[in-house]
Amino acid sequence: MTDPPLTLERRMERLDAIVAKLEGEGLELDDALALFEEGVSHIREVERMLHDADLRIERLIAGPGGTVETEPVRDPG
Amino acid sequence: MSPRPFRDAGGARRAPGAAGAWSAGGARPEAYTVAAVNAMAKEMLETALPPLWVQGEVTGWKRHTSGHCYFGLRDRSAQIRCVLFRSDAQRLPADPEEGMEVRTLGRVTLYEARGEYQFVAREIEGMGAGGLWRIAFEKLYRKLDAEGLLAPERKRPLPRHPAAVAVVTSPVGAALQDMLRVISVRAPWTRVLLSPARVQGEGAPSDLARAIRLAARSGLADVIIVGRGGGSTEDLWAFNDEVVARAIASSPVPVISAVGHEIDTTIADLVADLRAATPSAAAERAVPDRAAMARELSTAEDRVRSGLARWVLKRRDRIENARTALTRSVRRTSRRRKELLSQYGEKLDALSPLGALRRGFAVPLGRSGRILRSVDAFEPGGAFDLRVADGTVPCRVEDADFARENG
Repeated sequence: MTDPPLTLERRMERLDAIVAKLEGEGLELDDALALFEEGVSHIREVERMLHDADLRIERLIAGPGGTVETEPVRDPG
Repeated sequence: MSPRPFRDAGGARRAPGAAGAWSAGGARPEAYTVAAVNAMAKEMLETALPPLWVQGEVTGWKRHTSGHCYFGLRDRSAQIRCVLFRSDAQRLPADPEEGMEVRTLGRVTLYEARGEYQFVAREIEGMGAGGLWRIAFEKLYRKLDAEGLLAPERKRPLPRHPAAVAVVTSPVGAALQDMLRVISVRAPWTRVLLSPARVQGEGAPSDLARAIRLAARSGLADVIIVGRGGGSTEDLWAFNDEVVARAIASSPVPVISAVGHEIDTTIADLVADLRAATPSAAAERAVPDRAAMARELSTAEDRVRSGLARWVLKRRDRIENARTALTRSVRRTSRRRKELLSQYGEKLDALSPLGALRRGFAVPLGRSGRILRSVDAFEPGGAFDLRVADGTVPCRVEDADFARENG
């Protein structure tokens, strides 16, 4: 599992889709269970994130050749 | 023109080289050079009159290629030549129109090269509502409107759950602190990308535009807030600049404008995908609220669980029905077929996880919702859910004394 971590937006969209599918018709058990597991894992991940209370602040800096770099800001303002 | 007698002609104001102009007879007074006369007149004018405001009607406004502006100020009976040098002309939001009533601050002087008396203006304010600012605003408004950049259908919806929010503002302003406070309360998991810019004064428009493009180009931000706290019309003027408007319009992600001034709408407000009245309000619109999200998740969890439970119930009925039908038909068939069908029935039961659940087997599910298949998946004191045929039982591992079997 080397996929990049899913974004919050993606997880919430996925969750909506899972709920809709589980509440719909025509699922096989394997699929229903897999969707259930996936749904619960998204819920747990997002819950974990909600409690991750540190605001991360970074400063954008123009790098060479039109690139953009970031550096952490410890004392904003 | 012969030089006229002038008292104390040998005074300190003698022009360089003028001493040689004395005639041998000594009777004729000194003749001044033109430059000397103009220099004297200039100095007299400048010392006699302090810097002052003049009000009048603008006439013959010309912006020279050098950047200097030349114009006349007049009222019913008089006129004065005026100049506004480039460094000051750059600060004008717009050129005044012919006949426009203005107030201008400057000083009276003399243009020595021509011997012309003139007024060197430093500042020009249009009279009437908004003055020159209004003219500049309306001009740019018409231009951008004609290009369709202000059209409502250009407005993009904001992401509901942005992972990263870019903030284009002064790194030392109260606006930044306000936004950080709101985001840390509502959505502390958010990645805040500060793209610092000067928000007022000379160079602010191009600096703002650069900072907006930097945030857009980073590809990291899901939404960009461009803003500052309140201020005077002049303070907010950078947000009415064309380069800022174009930087906002070309952003690939939605932009929220947050110029802290509820009365005046800026061009930036009109081009942005959403206008917020203040930086705090912009931050509120940019990120979801933690409490609301927790409720949303809880609802989603209920629906996921009941969705699966309903699925199980529905299929269990169907399997029950099939079993009943099977049993009925078995009764009607020969013993041989009866055995066969009975075997099938058992197989069906054995293959179905639902059958297993119904027969009393249970499936332990971890916090992530995954099936816990091994002793290794349990932790002493760890919580898990036990899924049985008709629902879920929350459980906890009592002690670490696990019995392990092979296989």
